[in-house]
Amino acid sequence: MNSANNIDTGAAKPPPEAFDPHSGSFIERLVFNQRRLVLAFCLLISLGLGWQATQLGLNASFEKMIPTGHPFITNFLANRSSLAGLGNSLRVAVGVKQGSIYDQQYLQTLQQINDELYLLPGVDRPYLKSLWTPSTRWIAVTEEGMDGGTVIPGDFDGSAASLEQVRLNVQRSGEIGQLVSANFRSSIVYVPLLDRDPRTDEPLDYGQLSRQLEQIRTKYQSDNIEIHITGFAKIVGDLIEGMQQVLVFFVLAVAIATAVLFAYTRCLRSSLLVMGCSLIGVLWQLGMLQLFGFDLNPYSILVPFLVFAIGISHGAQKMNGVMRDIGSGMAPYVATRNTFRRLFRTGIAALITDAFGFAVLLVIDIGVIRELAIAASLGVAVLIISNLVLLPVLLSYIGVTPKAAARSVQHDSVGAGDDGSDREIHQVLPGRLWKFFALFTERKWALTALTVAAGLAVFGSVVGSRLQIGDLEPGAPELRADSRYNLDTAFMADNYAASSDIFVVMVKTAVDSCTHYSVLSKVRELTGQLERLPGVESTNSMARLSRYAMVGYNEGNFKWLELIPNNAALGAVQARAPRELFNADCSLLSVYVYLKDHKAATLNSVVEVAQKFAADNSDDEARFMLAAGNSGIEAATNIVVKKAMNQMMYLVYGAVIILCWITFRSWRGVVAAVLPLMLTSVMCQALMVKLGIGVKVAILPVIALGVGIGVDYALYVLSVLLMGLRFGMTVTQAYQLALRQTGRIVMLTGATLAVGVATWVFSPIRFQADMGILLAFMFLFNMLGALILLPALAHFLFGSTVLAPPISSSAPVQEHNNNDSDGLKSQFLTEENSHA
Amino acid sequence: MVVFSNSILRNRLAGGCLLLLMAGQSWTAVAGAETGFTALDKPAQITAQSVHKTILSVARAGQRLVAVGEEGIILLSDDNGQHWNQIVSPVSAALTEVQFVDPRHGWIVGHYGVVLATTDGGESWQKQLDGIQAAQLLLADVQLRGGDERELREARRLIDDGPDKPFLNLHFTDALNGFVFGAYNLIYRTQDGGQSWQPWLSRVDNPMGLHLYGMAEADGVLMMAGEQGTLLRSTDAGEHFEAIDSPYDGSFFGIIAEPDGAFVVYGLRGHLFRSVDNGDSWTQLDIREEVALSAASMLADGRLLVVSQSGTLLVNRNDTGFVPVADLPALPLADVVQSADGAAIVASLAGVHRFDLPGRIARDSASGSVKE
Repeated sequence: MNSANNIDTGAAKPPPEAFDPHSGSFIERLVFNQRRLVLAFCLLISLGLGWQATQLGLNASFEKMIPTGHPFITNFLANRSSLAGLGNSLRVAVGVKQGSIYDQQYLQTLQQINDELYLLPGVDRPYLKSLWTPSTRWIAVTEEGMDGGTVIPGDFDGSAASLEQVRLNVQRSGEIGQLVSANFRSSIVYVPLLDRDPRTDEPLDYGQLSRQLEQIRTKYQSDNIEIHITGFAKIVGDLIEGMQQVLVFFVLAVAIATAVLFAYTRCLRSSLLVMGCSLIGVLWQLGMLQLFGFDLNPYSILVPFLVFAIGISHGAQKMNGVMRDIGSGMAPYVATRNTFRRLFRTGIAALITDAFGFAVLLVIDIGVIRELAIAASLGVAVLIISNLVLLPVLLSYIGVTPKAAARSVQHDSVGAGDDGSDREIHQVLPGRLWKFFALFTERKWALTALTVAAGLAVFGSVVGSRLQIGDLEPGAPELRADSRYNLDTAFMADNYAASSDIFVVMVKTAVDSCTHYSVLSKVRELTGQLERLPGVESTNSMARLSRYAMVGYNEGNFKWLELIPNNAALGAVQARAPRELFNADCSLLSVYVYLKDHKAATLNSVVEVAQKFAADNSDDEARFMLAAGNSGIEAATNIVVKKAMNQMMYLVYGAVIILCWITFRSWRGVVAAVLPLMLTSVMCQALMVKLGIGVKVAILPVIALGVGIGVDYALYVLSVLLMGLRFGMTVTQAYQLALRQTGRIVMLTGATLAVGVATWVFSPIRFQADMGILLAFMFLFNMLGALILLPALAHFLFGSTVLAPPISSSAPVQEHNNNDSDGLKSQFLTEENSHA
Repeated sequence: MVVFSNSILRNRLAGGCLLLLMAGQSWTAVAGAETGFTALDKPAQITAQSVHKTILSVARAGQRLVAVGEEGIILLSDDNGQHWNQIVSPVSAALTEVQFVDPRHGWIVGHYGVVLATTDGGESWQKQLDGIQAAQLLLADVQLRGGDERELREARRLIDDGPDKPFLNLHFTDALNGFVFGAYNLIYRTQDGGQSWQPWLSRVDNPMGLHLYGMAEADGVLMMAGEQGTLLRSTDAGEHFEAIDSPYDGSFFGIIAEPDGAFVVYGLRGHLFRSVDNGDSWTQLDIREEVALSAASMLADGRLLVVSQSGTLLVNRNDTGFVPVADLPALPLADVVQSADGAAIVASLAGVHRFDLPGRIARDSASGSVKE
């Protein structure tokens, strides 16, 4: 590929003054002969992008988290302005711990909270509703007709008599289960929100709103008053807050990864250097996101972790090489250039593999995932500069601690199985570990490993077959089950009628026709069918309201509970109907289906019935469209995710197989690399079943990253192993060589990646925690797969074969063929020489 | 429907009027086709959830219990309300009331002017009338009687309106004779067990067209109660109903005759009146409840059980007036009947339920006529 990449292995230990600065590839000369320029350039970029990065905002845009291309979502977005009830609203429940709401102090507190909420920016004030608002009325049927008034009378004075009056009014208000809980121990302030703050005309800042709500909560919550807040705005607020916490975890991940690195190298300055360069990579990535007009969302905020971890592992590789070269007597500058020569292409190849893992995510039609893919691709791209260029340049100035350099060479010999009675314990361990891993190239051990793997595969497939689509736990799926928000949601579900899992079918009619009998009778039929589903708690619609309205118009006699086929009577209902059931010009009905949960089976049953009904009954008069509401969106997401998961598997494995083929030019190599990955995928699905995690949006990146990054280990190990075989080594010898050369890198990569993602487990955002667990599992399991299964497979695949030299090289290998396109081979050759 | 149209034709032929025969034929054609109203054309869906849906009426058919409600639900229970089976119903309209005159013969009325009949104790039901046919019948009747312009206009309007007026109750005295009635003074009479129906609107002194909610019979006197204090009395075996003075302006939701011949009417805001002189005078009984009373039923021991919309069950004790039956969940009750084993079976917006009545009442009922 690049004939300029001359490896002068004879120059492995040249005196520095003998080094020819004009040797090496074009890129190498470009980088190392203008080191100051490179540094100045990087400094400038860092300043520019660093400034950009400080401008980067946190956002949890609703639309970016949903599959906007799915017909359900298209329908929803097309009619969004007409879907009043799905608008953004908050429900603030003010509960009393002892006694009941019929208490002067409680009602006073409620009034104060009501007034404070009223003043929050972005509140649609005329529609705010609580016991204290004039819109909350009671109605009673009397001999004279209807009687009514505000629930809290105008002359309320807190006396026992007026409290009794309030009690009576609540009873006849019809608000029990709506504004007032059935046990009379809490009541709700319903707070509809505008999309924009009317004072500034800026989009509503959910983070700020959420903080103001928390202030109100803190202010009024007491021994006897408890406050529960639910609503989309609060979820977003909590997500943004969660993202800020995630930033703290980043610091933690950096600290741990640095510690791991230091424990590995025992060289503080170069450890800090690697960490610093990785952080610079992260900084550039963040700056570029801002430059390209992106925000950080709850998914893309995870990318810096990955970029950092990948950066660390590549940086460590560089450092490792430089350290060995310095340890074997080179000057830092020469050592760095030498290492650069060996590793630049390998590094790029590995980063390209990673980029593939990210790039396949672009096929998923969900904004946040695309942004994640873009952010990650950017991150990997900047790593090429920050960790493959900037880091070596800096290393060439700073060098490494001589002691550490000397140790790295000694370390190597330990790995090779030399005697070393004065070794420290941490040095003994890897040695024993390597010997242990090397066992797997022997028939007995290989057979055992493969048998266990086969057993695991069968077990994993059986368990994994129970894998469910969608989110399985109650409450807002974004947040943890025991989060404040989900506890509040549970409180609402326990005390108030409406479920938090709402599926909405939209019914499009001609203007002013939404209350026609012909339309409503169809709606009634649909809701009747849906109500018979076990997963449906209840429904609400204009049809239902019209039925109850007939009861109301006839003095409350239950016998009138039917949809009367009379357009005039039905039209009259509209005047008193809540706006969430129909739009302004009466051309769109919202049919609300309240679900028991948002499990995939429940959603599927509703989608199935509603879709069939829509297909059978839609005509010019009424067009039934799926779907809005959080459950409608979730149903669409499930459908998209299910499809995407399979797509993802094919794409990522396709990419990996092709990359492995390109790298190894051997189908046996492909098999040895890919089979362990597949076992990991199967085991990951089983783990998901065991942990109760369903396939959801957040799982898609896990699949892509787990496999796409996971293949790195196999690449490292197998490249050297194959090379060894091509030199006529036995499988065991070749594997020992691979362990010596790249085994530690594999371990280090596995550890830093796992550490990077494992800190997500503490995230208050549930899907981040799920991603953290699964990715950490996949990274570690893939690492073990590469170190145990791969040699076992190699034993059977390559045991009796003597490999032909690489196809690209016609000349004898021993002559260190210069045309070899495989950078790893160069590495191998140099290292072997340094050992000689 | 076929039975019905034939019977109408028979009536018309008996009338010997060619014009009416033609009228009859023309609407027979309509009746044979689908009505275009799902509630009339589609049978009720049979599902396990039906027992939890809105149930509006419950009645005894011998030992058996029959309950009816929304979406054409008809439920049977042969174990005194412990378990219910849903029965195929020819319509899916809300059914408002069910009555049996003996263990085999029963009728159900409902929305869309529906009348269903059974002759096998509720196992199978046939539609005898719907609102479309009822309107046609009325027009034919007005034309036959040579009614005035206003009556004709009203009848034509009824046809134009479609089947939007529900039957709210019924009263059968035996397997042949009965009335079905409901919204806006809509009332029809049969003397052949529902084979044919005569519009009876012109026989009722209800010029405002107020809703008719109940009918009861004692000592040959028929009494109807309805909207806005409506009380209508017939002393000629139902040939004519005359308005009588009402003790109340609010609506009555029902009327029941006690075994001793007294009438009890009940309705809005806990109002309940008793008359022992065929409606000439009424005495209000205080039930200490402000909510609407939706139904009443005689217990086997001769006491009266009244249910309210907010879920209270009240039993009258001769001297102390009405007392609530304690500790029942608050269900929006629509109807009540006593099962053969003495329990109270209630129809509510949240399904049909069975309550064992407290000790004394249950003992009373055990010694009552039901067990004999």
